[in-house]
Amino acid sequence: MPKLLDHVLNSCFWALAVKEIRQILRNKQLLFLLVFPPTIQLLIYGFALAPDVEMLRLSVLDYANSQTSRELVSALTENRLFIVNGYTFSETDLTQQVRQGDVTAGLIIPPNFERRLNQEQTAEVQVLIDGVDANTAGIASGYLSQILSQFNRRLSPEATPPLVNPEATFFYNPGLISSWFFVPGVIGLVLTLISSLVSSSAVVREKDTGTLEQLLMTPAEDWEILLAKLVPLFLLLMGDVVLALGVSKLVFDVPFRGNMIIFFLVSALYICVGISIGILLATISKSQQQVVLTSFFINLPLIQTSGAIAPVESMPLFFRYAAVLNPLQHYVAIARGFLLKGVGVAELWQHVLALALFAVILMGISIKKFRSQLN
Amino acid sequence: MVHHPEVEVTPFSLPAGSMRLAPVIQVAGLQKRYGALTAVKGIDFTVQRGEIFGLIGPDGAGKTTTFQILAGVMEASAGSVQVLGRPPRQARLGIGYLTQQFSLYLDLSLNENIRYSAGLREVPLDRLMERRDRYLKLMNLDQFGDRLAGQLSGGMKQKLALCCALIAQPEILLLDEPTTGVDPVSRRDFWDVLAALANQGVTIVVATPYLDEAERCNRIALMYNGEIQQMGTLQDLRIGLGLHRLEVRTNDLATTEQVLLDAIPPLPHETPPPLVDVQSFGDRLDILVPDHATGEATVRQVLQQQHLHPSQIDYAEATLENVFVTRLRQQGADPPFIPLPRSLPRTSRSLAQPRGSNDLAIQTRQLYKTFGNFRAVKDVTLEVRYGEIYGLLGANGAGKTTTIKMLCGLLPASGGEISLAGRSQNLRNPDLRRQIGYMSQKFTLYDDLSVVQNLEFYCGVYRVPRAQRREKIDWVLTICGLTGQEDMLTGRLPGGWKQRVAFGASVMHEPEILFLDEPTSGVDPLARRQFWRLIEDFARRGTAILITTHYLEEAEHCNNMGFMVAGEVVAKGTPSAIKAAQPGKLIEMITNMPQVTSDLLKTVLDPWRVSIFGDRLHLVLDHPDSDIPCIQDLLQEYHKPDGTILELHSVRAIPFSLEDAFIGIVQRSEQTT
Repeated sequence: MPKLLDHVLNSCFWALAVKEIRQILRNKQLLFLLVFPPTIQLLIYGFALAPDVEMLRLSVLDYANSQTSRELVSALTENRLFIVNGYTFSETDLTQQVRQGDVTAGLIIPPNFERRLNQEQTAEVQVLIDGVDANTAGIASGYLSQILSQFNRRLSPEATPPLVNPEATFFYNPGLISSWFFVPGVIGLVLTLISSLVSSSAVVREKDTGTLEQLLMTPAEDWEILLAKLVPLFLLLMGDVVLALGVSKLVFDVPFRGNMIIFFLVSALYICVGISIGILLATISKSQQQVVLTSFFINLPLIQTSGAIAPVESMPLFFRYAAVLNPLQHYVAIARGFLLKGVGVAELWQHVLALALFAVILMGISIKKFRSQLN
Repeated sequence: MVHHPEVEVTPFSLPAGSMRLAPVIQVAGLQKRYGALTAVKGIDFTVQRGEIFGLIGPDGAGKTTTFQILAGVMEASAGSVQVLGRPPRQARLGIGYLTQQFSLYLDLSLNENIRYSAGLREVPLDRLMERRDRYLKLMNLDQFGDRLAGQLSGGMKQKLALCCALIAQPEILLLDEPTTGVDPVSRRDFWDVLAALANQGVTIVVATPYLDEAERCNRIALMYNGEIQQMGTLQDLRIGLGLHRLEVRTNDLATTEQVLLDAIPPLPHETPPPLVDVQSFGDRLDILVPDHATGEATVRQVLQQQHLHPSQIDYAEATLENVFVTRLRQQGADPPFIPLPRSLPRTSRSLAQPRGSNDLAIQTRQLYKTFGNFRAVKDVTLEVRYGEIYGLLGANGAGKTTTIKMLCGLLPASGGEISLAGRSQNLRNPDLRRQIGYMSQKFTLYDDLSVVQNLEFYCGVYRVPRAQRREKIDWVLTICGLTGQEDMLTGRLPGGWKQRVAFGASVMHEPEILFLDEPTSGVDPLARRQFWRLIEDFARRGTAILITTHYLEEAEHCNNMGFMVAGEVVAKGTPSAIKAAQPGKLIEMITNMPQVTSDLLKTVLDPWRVSIFGDRLHLVLDHPDSDIPCIQDLLQEYHKPDGTILELHSVRAIPFSLEDAFIGIVQRSEQTT
């Protein structure tokens, strides 16, 4: 055993690894990069990115000005889905407000509203919705028709109930808390960004300062040089996984229902993918600056098409299929599965297999590239 | 001012009457403190209009601080500094300041760089055009106006930077080591430009680590430890030194050097002993003696006792380097020479043994390398034996670094054969690399690690046994004078020190083959001397050394050398053989108007054959016997508009320096191609 230890301590790899660790410890910027951006990103995405639309500004032009018309307005605002921005007295005013974007929706209640209801006739109200933000407009319109149909039922309780009435039960996220959806996605996003950035800058820095040439003249093998660079970073990035899970548990109370150890193993696989992307970037770039700029070009599309933030289902068909080639999409699916559903490799094996393939292929290419970059 | 003893010379030609004016730069009692450290400890000097004033000294002597104060970038702690009769800050518009780093925008063209500098100094457009054309022509850059600055060679970049500094027509140029890392041909060009500028009345203060080019200054100040140790013309300094040089040639340099070193009493000396200093070069020893004749007698007598017989002893003058080294030694500034503590047995191979095919450490045959259409290296054939120091010399871009990279296996050769330590296949083998030491041009320590961490890393990666690591690291720290400061961040070390640590880092594993690519760039003369003693020690223990350098004075340490021009080796041999093979003679000429003489001579001779060295001219003449009378006739016909005639004070042949040989070889081979 002491002999083996001696062998390790005398190897090139050990010297290289010690050097890398010392450089990392000296590198305040790197440590900062590993701790702050992941935390901040998790917090921002978790809190700010919610698809729920609330507190839409509504302007009301109530010609009827009757009890029922006032009840209609309060029905709209009681869930805080809409808030009344103000009452106007002319249609020109109202359209102006919508046009200027002061309000999202305008409601016009005609003067004969009360009278028609009393005559058991259908009363019509007009709704003007600012359709520039299609998503919000759609949701606002949905809210409006839901609230109005409930209001209808309240007005005439004896009217025929609908023939089919769905009773939806939400699995895994019964409260439909949007942060539960986002946090696992953001964990994937953060790992992609940080691992590719950190590994590429570690590799390209040697090139930048000219030490790479000197390093290649030492008896160290190429794989030793690369491995010594990556092992400490790999461990630090695993620390980032722990950090991200901690934030998601402590701040957002996201459950962790799967097997923790297996999740870490799969995350390790994904970090390998991220690191290989980083090395590839580093081998094709000449300077740190170039690496950072290129990594934006690669990382942003990777994130956008992964389903980490916007659901894959919201993308055109072509991109849905193309997402199969996006390693992040697989990791996000796995993370959601482990955290929220509590499923394991048995259910997610296709994604795990895909990640493993990505890791092997990308690692292989990047090591080959690293070797040949000097020529 | 003391002049050459036999003649009365005006060192620089000036507008009549300007001699009476107050000096352009006046420094009295200048001090600069940084916290507890006093960088400049009260220096006094004056510089006259149109003078080239040289500041030389080891790293950390206070030269850069002095420049920054003169330039008005920094305030003095005490003392008075007057530039153009004003405090430096107020005189800034009259000052051009050039530092070691190129202060150029590499992604702008030459013209754009010049226009930018002119804009900063509010030069009117018509003047800008006129000056730009004039200076670019003076620097031989006029056909490159649209080229990007980033695509210029190091020498051209420095000339462009000088152009940018000149565009506002400053009266004073402050040049802080402008030629570091620039090849000898470009350096000589650069200095020709400086001489021409000084003649037009520009005052120049310049620092340089190249003592051969410092000899071209009108006056030189030797700085050490924040003080000016000595100041005067080259001749003053030589006389002040009171020593002469003997060149001893023998076939057993190592033993002879040791015997002579033993004959020198230890410092300090009350009166100079018959032998003051011994320094070994590639094929000779230089011995400093108070007197040529008694010195020679002493040398012969000492060697006789050990049954050694020098083959030849020549008399020569002390060089500026001799002055520099001797003065600083008296200050106790000499870095120690300690051989590397070794663990491997001394190899039996030595240069003294007869040649055998096993002795070859490095061998190439018809090596060539192409990048696209560009042939970077053509047909290079060279052999380096174990125990030999081989110098690869050439201008920037001649193909030296490319050759070294191919030999190291860092670049694949496009053709030809390489054999390294007996291997011709698989040059990237780790066992082979274990025997090789490599120090690349822009070494390559990790700036973000401490000195000792860097050394530990290189020990580890070369697998130096753990038990010996401490001893070897201590050795590097001692020779670099960094004991006790080993935890300093490497990035904070001055350039010269970094080079020394880097050298230590690349030899701790006792390599058998050592590649050194410009190891001494930016290293001061004293440390360079120590460098060479270490290199020679490695060679004597059987290491094959391939080295490149821009300091031709130190290339004399090589046993053999090859001169590369445009990718080809155009001359090979020992330093003496190369100098001896130069056609023609080197003529030193002293006149009352050196610049005028130079301009006149350049109309009849190739410009490279004429250069100004302070108050005298060096001419390379292929047929001196027929050329000199023609030249004398030409000079006699000249007289200035005011009637002053050109007086020729002395003409004599002097020995070629390696630099003269280098420039001759490069220029001649460029003419033929």
